[in-house]
Amino acid sequence: MTAQATQARPLLAVEGLDVVLGHGWQANHVLSDVNLKIWPGEIVGLVGETGSGKTTLARTVVGLIRPRNGRIVFDGAEISRLRGGARRRERRSGHVQLIFQDPLRSLDPDLTVAQIVGEGLAIRGGIGSQEIRSRVEDALAKVGLDSTVLYRQPGQISGGQRQRVSIARALASDPSLLLCDEPVSALDASNRNYILRLLSELRDTLDLPIIIISHDLSSLAGIADRAVVLYRGRIVEDGPVSQVFSAPRHPYTALLMASAPSVKHDRSLSVQQLRRTAADPPSPSAPSACVFAARCPFAIDSCAEQPALVPVAPDWSAACHRHEEWAGLARSRTSAARKG
Amino acid sequence: MSRRDRRHRRHLTRPGSILRLPSARIAVGVLAVVIFLAIFGSALAPQNPLTINANDLFQGPSLHHLLGTDYLGRDVLSRLMAGTRLSVFTAFEAVAIGFVLGGPLGIATVFLGKWFDFAANRVADALMTLPSIFFAVAVTAALGNGLVQAMFPVGILLSPTFFRVTRAATLEYARAQYVEAAELLGASKLHVIRVHVVRKVLPNLAVLTAQATAGALLAVSFLTFLGIGVQPPAPTWGGILSSDLDYLNLSPWAPFIPGLLIAITVGALNALADAFRDRTGPGTLVVADPVVKTHSTLALEAADDRQPAA
Amino acid sequence: MTGNPPPDEVLGIEDLHVTVHDGAATAVRGVTLSVRTGEIVGLVGESGSGKTLTCRAALGVLPPGCDIRHGRIAFGHQDVTDLSRRGWERLHGTGMGAVFQDPTSYLNPNLTVGGQLAEVLRVKQKLRRHQAHRKAIGLFTAVGLHNPGHVFHQIPSELSGGMLQRVMIAIAISCDPRLLIADEATTALDVTIQAEVIELLRELRDQRGLAVLFVSHDLAVIRELCDRVVVFYAGEVVETGPVEQIIERPRHPYTQALLRVASVGDFQRRQLEVIPGQPPRVGEETTGCRFAERCPAAVPKCLAGPVDLSTLAPGHHARCIRATDPELALITAGQSAAGQSAAAAEMAAR
Repeated sequence: MTAQATQARPLLAVEGLDVVLGHGWQANHVLSDVNLKIWPGEIVGLVGETGSGKTTLARTVVGLIRPRNGRIVFDGAEISRLRGGARRRERRSGHVQLIFQDPLRSLDPDLTVAQIVGEGLAIRGGIGSQEIRSRVEDALAKVGLDSTVLYRQPGQISGGQRQRVSIARALASDPSLLLCDEPVSALDASNRNYILRLLSELRDTLDLPIIIISHDLSSLAGIADRAVVLYRGRIVEDGPVSQVFSAPRHPYTALLMASAPSVKHDRSLSVQQLRRTAADPPSPSAPSACVFAARCPFAIDSCAEQPALVPVAPDWSAACHRHEEWAGLARSRTSAARKG
Repeated sequence: MSRRDRRHRRHLTRPGSILRLPSARIAVGVLAVVIFLAIFGSALAPQNPLTINANDLFQGPSLHHLLGTDYLGRDVLSRLMAGTRLSVFTAFEAVAIGFVLGGPLGIATVFLGKWFDFAANRVADALMTLPSIFFAVAVTAALGNGLVQAMFPVGILLSPTFFRVTRAATLEYARAQYVEAAELLGASKLHVIRVHVVRKVLPNLAVLTAQATAGALLAVSFLTFLGIGVQPPAPTWGGILSSDLDYLNLSPWAPFIPGLLIAITVGALNALADAFRDRTGPGTLVVADPVVKTHSTLALEAADDRQPAA
Repeated sequence: MTGNPPPDEVLGIEDLHVTVHDGAATAVRGVTLSVRTGEIVGLVGESGSGKTLTCRAALGVLPPGCDIRHGRIAFGHQDVTDLSRRGWERLHGTGMGAVFQDPTSYLNPNLTVGGQLAEVLRVKQKLRRHQAHRKAIGLFTAVGLHNPGHVFHQIPSELSGGMLQRVMIAIAISCDPRLLIADEATTALDVTIQAEVIELLRELRDQRGLAVLFVSHDLAVIRELCDRVVVFYAGEVVETGPVEQIIERPRHPYTQALLRVASVGDFQRRQLEVIPGQPPRVGEETTGCRFAERCPAAVPKCLAGPVDLSTLAPGHHARCIRATDPELALITAGQSAAGQSAAAAEMAAR
C-alpha cells in the first residue's frame, strides 16, 4: 500500500503470534506464527472458515485471550502483556474497539441504546452526563441512527439497527482501530451492504483503519483494501484485494472464491478444479506438512514441510510451495475433470 | 434526559405484567389482605384478643364470635387478626436476613476468584446440613425465648439457598457477551455487577423470596406451635393452631381455621413465586417453540417489534 | 396457475394466508406456488417476508399462534391443509423431509448420529436393527460423508457443522421422501461447505427425482441451486419464474433491487448498493402494491388497488403493473446511480 511507503510504523503489528486454547490433552493450537501489520486508514478483510482462528485472532488482539508466544504492538506500545489495572487503563482509552458478531448477544437486552452507546464513556469517568449524551447522539448519527432509538432496547429495534448500535458503541470511544467480527453474517443482503458501506464511509471520513472478519469474499471485495486469508490458524495469503482476488496465489484462496455463491457465473476456476478427488495422489500427512495439504489437489512431496509466508509480489505474500505453478495445473484439470 | 428515562424505566420493569396471570392476581389479593391484617389487624380486631371469658368456652361461630371462641373463651377471629403481625413480620425477618446474607455474597463470589468461591461454597454446604427448626430451638435456648431471636437462625439457614441461587444466576450473566464487551471498554467488576448483573439476578431472587417467605411462615408457625418464641397470652397463627389441637375432642373444627389461614398464605406465596418464574423463564417469548426457531423467525419477531418507520 | 395441478406436482400451495399472533396480523397473504418432481424451487426474500412461514405451513409445523386462515396445501393428491397431528407425523419422514439452519438443535447431543438415523429407519420403515444399520451406512455414503462407518458411532459434538448438515440431510431423505424442504439449510455453513451441500442437493435431485423447496435470504445461493425461484415481499409472491429468466430479466422492481444487492462473483471493488426504506411491518395493511413506497418506478396508479400477478411468459409471473413497461428496467437501473446518492442522503438523515 502507499501508506506503507509514507509511514514507517504500522498502527498495529502482530508478531509471531501463537495461541493455544485448552490445557493438556485438550490443548488446541488455534493460531500459529501469525504476523500481521495494519496501516493507518486501510480496511483489511480477514477471511477464513470456521476453525481458521480468525475470531481468536481478533479476541487476542483486544486482550480477551492471552497468547502463548508473540507480541501485539499498538502504536508502538506492546499491549499483549498488560495486566490488571494497566490493561483496564489501556481499554478505557478506547483505542482498539471490537464489534461482536451477534449484536443480540453483545448488547445488554435490559439497557437502552443510550446506555449501551454511552457505557464506555461512563466507565471512563470524568465526563458529564450532558457531554455523554451529546457524544452518544454524535456516535449514533455517524451510523445513521437518530435520537428516536435512544430509549429503545436492543429487542425493540431491527437486526440492522442493532448492528449499527453496536458500531456506534465502538465509535463513541473515539477508537483508532476497529475490529469487526463477522459484522454482517446475520443480516440479509441489503442490510449487509448497508453496514459494509457504513464501515467504508467511516474509514473515509474518520481515517479509521478497520479489520473486517468475514467469510463473504464477494461483499468484502467491494470495500476492503487488503485481504488476509487464514487457514487452520495460519495466514496463507496476504495482499491487496484487487490482486489477490484476480489471481490468488494460494489454492485455498481460489477455492474460497470459487465456492462463493454468486448471481453471475463467470468464474475463472471452478470448484471441481480446486477440490481434491480420489484420483489425486495422496497428500503428505506428516505433522509438519502444509496445513492445506490434506485438501489440496496440488500437494507434492515438498508440501510435507509447512511453507513460510513469502513475498510473491510487492506487498503480497503467500504460503505455498507451488504458488507459481498450481494455477496452471488447475486449468489443465478442467479437461481431465470433464473427460472423467 | 432524566424524565424521559424514568418514564421508560417504568415501562421496562412493568410491575403489572405478572398480574396478567389469574393465579398471580389471586395470590397478590390474598397477600394484600394478609399484609393489611399484619399492619392493622390488632387495631381492627372486633374484641380484645386477650380477654378471657369463662362463660363462652368452645363456642361455635356465632354473630358475636364470628369464628367462635377458644378454650379460654377468647374470640378466635380477633386472636387470628392480632396474631398476623408477629407471624408475618418474623417470617419477613428471616427472609430478609437470608436475602441480605446470601444475595450479595452470591454475586460477589463469582467475581472474587476461585479460592473465595470454593470457601464460600463449603460454608454454604455446612450451613445447609443444619436442620433449621432444631437450630432455632437451640439458639433460643442460648439467647432467650423470643420469636425475633428464634427467626434469626432460620434466616441464617435460609441464606445458603439465597447464596446458591444468586451465584447460579450470576454465573450465567457474568459469562454473557455484553459483559465481555463492557470489560473491553475497561469496566471494573463493580460496574459489571451494578449495570449488567444485579438487575438480571433480581427476578430470579423474586421467585426464591416468595418461596422462602412461604417456608419461613411455616417455620414461624411451627416454632410457635411448639411454644417457642412467644409468651403464652400473645396470639400467633401457630400458637392458636397448637392450642386448638389440644382440645380437639371438644371442638374438632377449630384447628381448621388457623390451619387454613397458614395454608392459603403459603399457597399464595408459592403461586406468586410461580408467576415470577413464568415471567422470567423462557416461556415469555412469543415464538418459543425451539423446533421452529431460525434466524428468520427471530428476524420476523424483530421486524414485528419494530416501531412504525420514524 | 389455476385449474388442475400438473400430474407430477409434489407440493401445491394455493392462495395461502397465514396469520400470526393468534390471528392479529396476516404474515402470508395469498401465496400460490407448486413444486414438481425433480424440481428445486427457491423461496427468496428479506427477513419477515413470509417465506419461512410458507414453508413451515407446508411442513405442518407452524409456530404457536400462527394459523392457516385461508388457502389450500396439497401434497401430491392429498389435501393436507387440515391434516391432523397424527397425519403429519406419518407424512414427516416418509412423504417429506426437512432440513433447517441449525442441525444441533434437532439431534440429541448424547446419542450417536448413526443410532439416531437408524432409529428413524426402525420406527418409520420397521427395519430390523442390522438392516437399519446397513441402510444408515448406505445413506451416510450417499450424502458424501467420508468413512461412514466411523461417523455412525460419533456424537453430534464430534462432527463439524457441514457434516452435521449432511447427517440431517441423510435423516431427511432416509425414508425416500418425495419432497425435501430446506429452510436456510446452508446459511450457517462455510462457503466451501455450502458449495458442497448445494452440489449434494442437486445430486439427490438427479439421482432420486427428489423435489426440493429451498428457502434462503440469499439470491446468490438460490441462483446456484434452484430451477425456479419465488420472490417474496411483505407476505406476497411478487415474482416467480425460471431462475435464469429471473436473473437475466427480472421484471419486478423488488427482484431487480435484490439482484443489485446480491453477491456478484467478480470480486471487484464497487459501490455496495442497498434497498432504501423498510418493508411494511408484518400485518400492516396497505392499499395497492406493497413495494410502492420503496419503488423508484412507482406511479400513482400503483397505489390505486391490489396488484395481481401478471403472466409475462409461460411460468414467469410478476406482481407489478409496469412489469411489461420497457422503461421500468431503465428507471430502476438509473436509480442505482442516482438513487443511491439519495440512499446515502437518507442514511445521513436517519
